[in-house]
Parts: sequence; structure tokens; C-alpha cells
Amino acid sequence: MISRADADSANTETKDSSDKPFVDANDIPAFDPTTALGEPGSFPYTRGVHRTMYQQRLWTMRQFAGFGSATDTNKRFKYLLAQGTSGLSTAFDLPTLMGRDGDDPLSLGEVGRCGVAISSLADMRRLFDGIKLDQVSTSMTINAPAAILLAFYIAVAEEQGVSPDKLRGTLQNDILKEFHAQNEYVFPPQPSVDLVTDTIEYCTKHMPQWNTVSVSGYHIREAGASAAEELAFTLADGMAYVEESIKRGLDVDEFAPRLSFFFDCHNDFFEEIAKLRAARRIWAHVMRDRFGAKSERSWILRMHCQTAGVTLTEQQPMNNVVRVAFQALAGVLGGTNSLHTNSMDETFALPTQEAAKLALRTQQIIAHESNVTQTVDPLGGSYFIEKLTNEIEAKAQAIFDQIDAMGGVLSAIDRGYFRRAIAESAHKQQKQLDAGETKIVGVTDFKEDQASGIDILRITQESEDEQVARLKKLKKDRDAKRHTVALTKLKDDAKTGANVMPALIDASKADATVGEMMETMKSVFGAYSGGPEW
Amino acid sequence: MSNTQAGHATRVLLAKIGLDGHDRGVKVLARSFRDAGIEVIYTGLWQTCEATMLAALQEDVDIVGVSLLSAAHLTVMPEILRIRKQLGVEHIPIVLGGIVPDADQPKLKEMGVAAVFNPGSPLDLIIDALRELAASQQEVKLADVRAGYEKRDPRALAKLITKIQHDEDLADFKPPAGNAKIIGVTGAPGVGKSSFIAKLGRRLRDKGSKVAVVAIDPSSPITGGALLGDRLRMMAGTPDTDFFVRSLSSGGAQGALAPHCTDVIAALNGFGFDYIVVETVGAGQSDVAIRDLVDKTVLLLMPDSGDSVQFSKAGIMEIASCFVLNKCDLAGADATQAQLIGAVGDDRPVFRVSTIRDEGVDAVADWVATS
Ligand SMILES: Nc1nc2c(ncn2[C@@H]2O[C@H](COP(=O)(O)OP(=O)(O)OP(=O)(O)O)[C@@H](O)[C@H]2O)c(=O)[nH]1
Ligand SMILES: [Mg+2]
Repeated sequence: MISRADADSANTETKDSSDKPFVDANDIPAFDPTTALGEPGSFPYTRGVHRTMYQQRLWTMRQFAGFGSATDTNKRFKYLLAQGTSGLSTAFDLPTLMGRDGDDPLSLGEVGRCGVAISSLADMRRLFDGIKLDQVSTSMTINAPAAILLAFYIAVAEEQGVSPDKLRGTLQNDILKEFHAQNEYVFPPQPSVDLVTDTIEYCTKHMPQWNTVSVSGYHIREAGASAAEELAFTLADGMAYVEESIKRGLDVDEFAPRLSFFFDCHNDFFEEIAKLRAARRIWAHVMRDRFGAKSERSWILRMHCQTAGVTLTEQQPMNNVVRVAFQALAGVLGGTNSLHTNSMDETFALPTQEAAKLALRTQQIIAHESNVTQTVDPLGGSYFIEKLTNEIEAKAQAIFDQIDAMGGVLSAIDRGYFRRAIAESAHKQQKQLDAGETKIVGVTDFKEDQASGIDILRITQESEDEQVARLKKLKKDRDAKRHTVALTKLKDDAKTGANVMPALIDASKADATVGEMMETMKSVFGAYSGGPEW
Repeated sequence: MSNTQAGHATRVLLAKIGLDGHDRGVKVLARSFRDAGIEVIYTGLWQTCEATMLAALQEDVDIVGVSLLSAAHLTVMPEILRIRKQLGVEHIPIVLGGIVPDADQPKLKEMGVAAVFNPGSPLDLIIDALRELAASQQEVKLADVRAGYEKRDPRALAKLITKIQHDEDLADFKPPAGNAKIIGVTGAPGVGKSSFIAKLGRRLRDKGSKVAVVAIDPSSPITGGALLGDRLRMMAGTPDTDFFVRSLSSGGAQGALAPHCTDVIAALNGFGFDYIVVETVGAGQSDVAIRDLVDKTVLLLMPDSGDSVQFSKAGIMEIASCFVLNKCDLAGADATQAQLIGAVGDDRPVFRVSTIRDEGVDAVADWVATS
């Protein structure tokens, strides 16, 4: 059993209580570089997942973007491809993210606003019109209806004569963090995870090049979790997916290499670096020792990072450029494989072209001018960094023990554990801010008088109306019988616990919409109204 | 300080409309309002304008606060104001919180939004504004309430319940006797009472019955404020005027009930409901007072609840007319069911239910209808 004191210490932020103004060898008494670090590219990968890291290949500068109709986004994709990009990143609008059609009453005012609206196979076809799907890698930020969007993608590829095993890309597909933090869930936790496992199983068998889940701490952190909580909750979620997939009868070494992670890069510079290093070390041990993975590719934690949106301020927005630069540097020094830098004007609006470019330039300056890439893990062996790495690992371990004691991630969700912990941490940060213990430049200190200049992106109602009209037409014109048969099959498979992927692909081809497929599954899986801690 | 002119807690309904799931702000507000002595009814994520305003009508709130972070205010606010008019509750002021550009504020005020707050608005200012709005509401005369009630106007029913809660002198007006079957639903905190009532209520509605729910949540003994969260579980499905839900704060009443429960039930009964379901506060072993108010008591339990509600014959187990083992989708249901059947020891029925999967509710609905 975990005592309350342990639980508390797991929640407190790193603060050195000793009076000594520096860290030295006494602070890492049992430090053995061979076991704690290994060489870069070798177990436990604390120093990085490749021996050469950025010397041979820089991190991927992946800037998440894209909104409008499928046709607009298709144009943008083609432009990016012409510029030499091979990775497409898709942002969906809120209705799609929530598994609702554009003509659902709750979609009012949201269709195509913050991303592309995809309600049917026809929309997906327009999105990738003229783009050969075996030539690109596509990342889709989608969770609750991820299996359906994957089915659309597979069906479009098939129409192009591209078989699933040729498809490359990433599905965010991380439903667990939706229950902890982001609230974009639809079904109750268990069937939601079963659906994720369906996609893992399907991809393991048919789409070996596809990254099945991007296990995400970003949203957990943005909702108020501490760094240790972000790390621990995310890795615990990752373990839950591994456990469920093993229960399904999959060989850990066949699916584990296709899991990846997504972390936040926040303000506390060294703590963030330590967090990323600890993440790799913990995961390597967990995969080898807890799950018995034999392949090195299963032990390796690959990560994407994004700078912390919550740290951006509306006041003196130019300050955000500096914040982003430091956060990005922490990501690089922590050895991330891929990075998104936020734009300075992202507090309330979608970024302007100028600001988005500056954000990318920030990464390029770190990569090409600062010379921090000259050696792998330049901070490795620093007393302070190693101490922080050990500490955050220990805190994460204490949280894993708590979760295990509750019977795993799903029962912890059922008890409201994650939400409560995140709310408590957020509340604590607010109190520290109110008490003047935390400073925010330009907000709590060094203030200037300034008119509030909130502006937001305006969307035109026309694009929503067009999408709704297209949907109505689709529903009228499609083969009603085939549609009914396909949805009945989906319902049957959901009921018997069969993998729903084949039924989803068939339903896609029968022009069933996202909303209809979600409703069909809801009638079997149930709907979730949130955990006990609202 | 914490109360309106008449000395009663201000009632505010907080709503998130549409699909945007950013609820950190609205939850912080809900807690701060409670701490300031306000009764807060939070309806949860993903609400429509129609469901929100129907809830406001039934709850007879002083103010509706809409939280919109998706920048859809110029689409959503006109719609909510239109529905407010359609339902005839234009006396309820609507305030908006969210990311609203300065340029839109005059437009919103002009269309009838009472106040707009941005994420940076100081809390004190918001609370003062709410109190002022609540205090400026006109008193509704008992005679008007009575006239409306007799015409089966749900607004009058809602107002009558408020008057009962406020301990007003209603000697002039006794609601007629009714024929409702009155069902108590009790059980430990978080066993799923509200979620279960939502499903049970739907079943009874499907049979054509009119259903009212009285849902009681605890209030703060210090500030008198409360977070009334039961309704949040009852918001699914199309808004339905014959499914009347009223949230009450326990206000220091004993036995997991609220003050004036008997009168509130009588008001609903006289209005013509076929079923009145009363949800207690999360109850303990000795919270048996519900028995005196209702015809039947349903005790909810969940797998592994052996430690929270002991299967002893005394207390709450004794007053149950039937047992619903909820959350049977979770592990341990079989073992708990066996224990439970052992402990009951007579022929009172034990139902297995998974509210979340909507399984097993039919049997309970049949039992409720026939027993
Ligand atoms: N797994 C599972 N969870 C359920 C079920 N029914 C309700 N829940 C969950 O239990 C939690 C509490 O549900 P409520 O309906 O608010 O419970 P309650 O008894 O009314 O709670 P209080 O009024 O606070 O005492 C929520 O997270 C529900 O989603 C069920 O059948 N299965
Ligand atoms: Mg309840």
C-alpha cells in the first residue's frame, strides 16, 4: 500500500529544500552511468534513442496546421507536397473529433472552424484527391472516432489501388487522456480502450508501417498536471494499451514498436529535460522487465514534443517568442524526435502566417545556429540533471504504484483519480500565482498598460451550410439497403466483441457517416457522461 | 452577503453549449460560486440551447451562465435567446463567459445578453454582477403562480417549488391530491443514482407516463452554497417537457434529504405526474428518512461496495423495497451479487444493472410499474 505521504510527495513540484546552493556528487550517491544512462542508442536510452541523434538527422519539425473544407485542405496538402514535404498533418474540426456529423444540432457553428470537416468517405476522398497514399505519411489528430477515420483512409487507399501494408502515418488514437483531461470521449472507458485495441490489432496484422497510438501527456499537462504527473499518467496509459493488446493475444514485439509518445515542453527548463530523459529510461525498463519485450525496437520510446500553449500570455505577446524558444531548447536538449513550436499569437486565435513562420524559424535557429546539436545529450552526467532525472523517475514510480494499487488505469478513471489529481495540481498552481510565489513576466510583474486586443478567427457560415447540404445529399443518394446491412453488421460485431475494423471499413464504403457509425457503436457500448469528479 | 434580498441563495445554472470540451474555467467558476454561497446547477458538457433553457425553466434559476470557448457566441447566443422567448422565460437573464472580442460585446448586449465576462474578469466582479441581476428579479405573486399551476404551466410549478423552498406562506394554496407513485432512490455517494434515474425515467416516459425527479445534493453548511451535480447525468436525450427534474440543496436537512421535501413532492403530485422519483444525497447506513416520503425505496449498490454500505440487516438495507446492483459492467459483480443475496435473506428483488451500458433497466422499470 502507498501511504498518503508518498502520494503527496509524488504530487509536489521539484524544489530543493537543502540550503546548499549547488548540486554535487552527494546528491546522486548511487549514480552508475553504465546502468543509469548507457550510451546513446543503447539501453536504457536515457541519453537518446539513437547513437548519433541530431548529428546525422535533426528532429522532425512538424508544424500542426490545416483548417477549412476538405477541398481547401487538399489544396494546401498539394502545395506542401510540392515544397518537398512528405508528411501531412491533419487537424479535424470539433464535430469530427467528437464523432458527430456536420448536420448534428450540437455541431452548430463548429463545422470546419478549427479543422477539416470529415463526415463520410466522400469527404475523405476529396481530402486526398490526387495524392497517392503510398507516397506520403499522414498524421491524424483524432481520438474517439479514430477507428472510423482510419477506416476511411484505408478505403480511399483501396480505391487508389494501394494496399494497407503500404500505408504510413500516425493516428493519435489516445482515448485515455481524453478521460483524464481533454474531454473528447464518447463511449465509456473500457469499450473505448477496446476500440483502440481493435485498431492496434488490425494495424499489427495489416498495416505494419502505421503508428497506432500517440500516447499523449500534452493535454494532461495543459490541464494543470505537474511534470511528474504528466510523465507518470502518460506512461501508465501507454502500459494500459500494452496490457490490453497482450490480453488480445498480440505479441508485444509486434505492436510495441508502433506506439509513440507526445509530451509538453513547459517552462521549468531543467525539469523538462529531466522528464524526457526519465521517460525513455522508465519505458525501456517497463517494456523489457514488466512486459518481457525482446526486441530493442519495443524498448525505445519515440516522442514528439510541443511547447506549452498554457504558458503563452495575451499581455505583451512578443514575450511568447522567448518562452517558446526556451521551451523548444528544452525539448531538443531532452532529445525529442519531433517538435512543434507554438506561435506567439496562439493564445486565443489560430496563428497568423507570419507568427507560424517565426515559430518554425525558432526551431531552425536552434538546429543550425546554436550548435547544441554537436553532441548527443550534452547535459548527461551533470549532477543537477541526473538528480532531477532520478527524482522525477521516483515520483513517477510512486504514481504507478498508486495506480496499480487501485487496480490499473481504468479503475483509477472510475474513481476519478486522474481528474482529481490534475484539478488539485491546477488549483495549487493558481494559489501559488495568487500568492505571488510564481511570477509571469508581463502579467504578474513588469506589467504595462495595454488595451485588450482579443481577436478571433471568423469563419464563414457558408462553408458550414455547404457541408450540411453535401451530407443531406449523400444520405439521400446512397444505397439504403447496403447502408442498413453494413450498420447492422457493425452492431453485431460490436455486440459479440469482434474486431470492428472490417465492419467499419465496409460501412465506410456503404457511405455510412461518422455520426451514424458512432451512434451504432454507442447503442452497444453506451455513452459516457464523465467520471465522478466533474 | 451571500444571499439575495429575500435572504435566499441565488440559483445559477452554468451551461457549456456545443461540442467544446474545455471545462476547466466553468468548473473553477462553479466552485467559486458555491464558496460564495450560490447554488450552482451545472449541466455538463455538450448541451444544446434547448436543453439548457428547459433546464433553466424547471430549475427556476435566477440566472443562466453560458460558457463558450469555441468562439461560436454569435451563432449560439441568438439561438439561446430565441428559445428563451419560445419557452416564455424571458425574465431569466443570460450571461456569457468566454473568449469574446471587444467588438462583439455591443452586439451581444443589443440582442439581449445581460453581461459578458472574459477569462480575465475578476471573480468578485462576476459574483457581484450575478447578485445584482438576481436581486433585480421581480417577485411573482402567489395568485399568479396558482393560476398558472392550475393551467398546468410548468413555469408556475417551478416557481411554486421555489416558494416552498423559500418557506413562503402558502396557506392560501394547497395543491390538489395526486395519484403519483413515489419512488425513492438512495445509495452511497457515486454509486450511480442520478445516472440510473435518468435511464429509469426514460423507460417510464417511453410507456407514456409523466415523470418528475427531485434530486438532492449536499450544500455547504458554512456558505449555504451548493454544487448541484445530479442533473448533469440526466441531460441526455431530446429535451422533454414531461420529464421534470428539480435539483434541491440539502440545506442542512437530516437523513440525506432536503427541507420541505414533503411539500415539494405534494406540489409535483398535484400537478399530475405519474411517477415522482426522489434521489437522496449520497447516503450512509443510517439515512433511512426517505422511507417516510415514498411508496417504494430502491437501494443502489455497486460491485465491491461491501465496505461502503455494509450488508447488515439494520439501517438502510432494512428500508429497501428492492436492490439494484449497478455498474455490473465492472469486475466483481458476481461476487457482490452473491454476498448481497445472502445478506438480503428474503424475497425482495435484486436487479443487476449497468446504467452506463443501459442494461437491466427494463426489469427495474417493470417492477416499479407493477409493484
Ligand atoms: N462503470 C459504470 N459506471 C457508472 C455506471 N453508472 C454510473 N456510473 C458512473 O458513476 C459515477 C457516478 O455517477 P452518478 O450517477 O453521478 O452517481 P450518484 O450516485 O448520483 O452520485 P452522487 O449523487 O454524487 O452521490 C459517474 O462517473 C458515472 O459515469 C455503470 O453502470 N457502470
Ligand atoms: Mg447523484
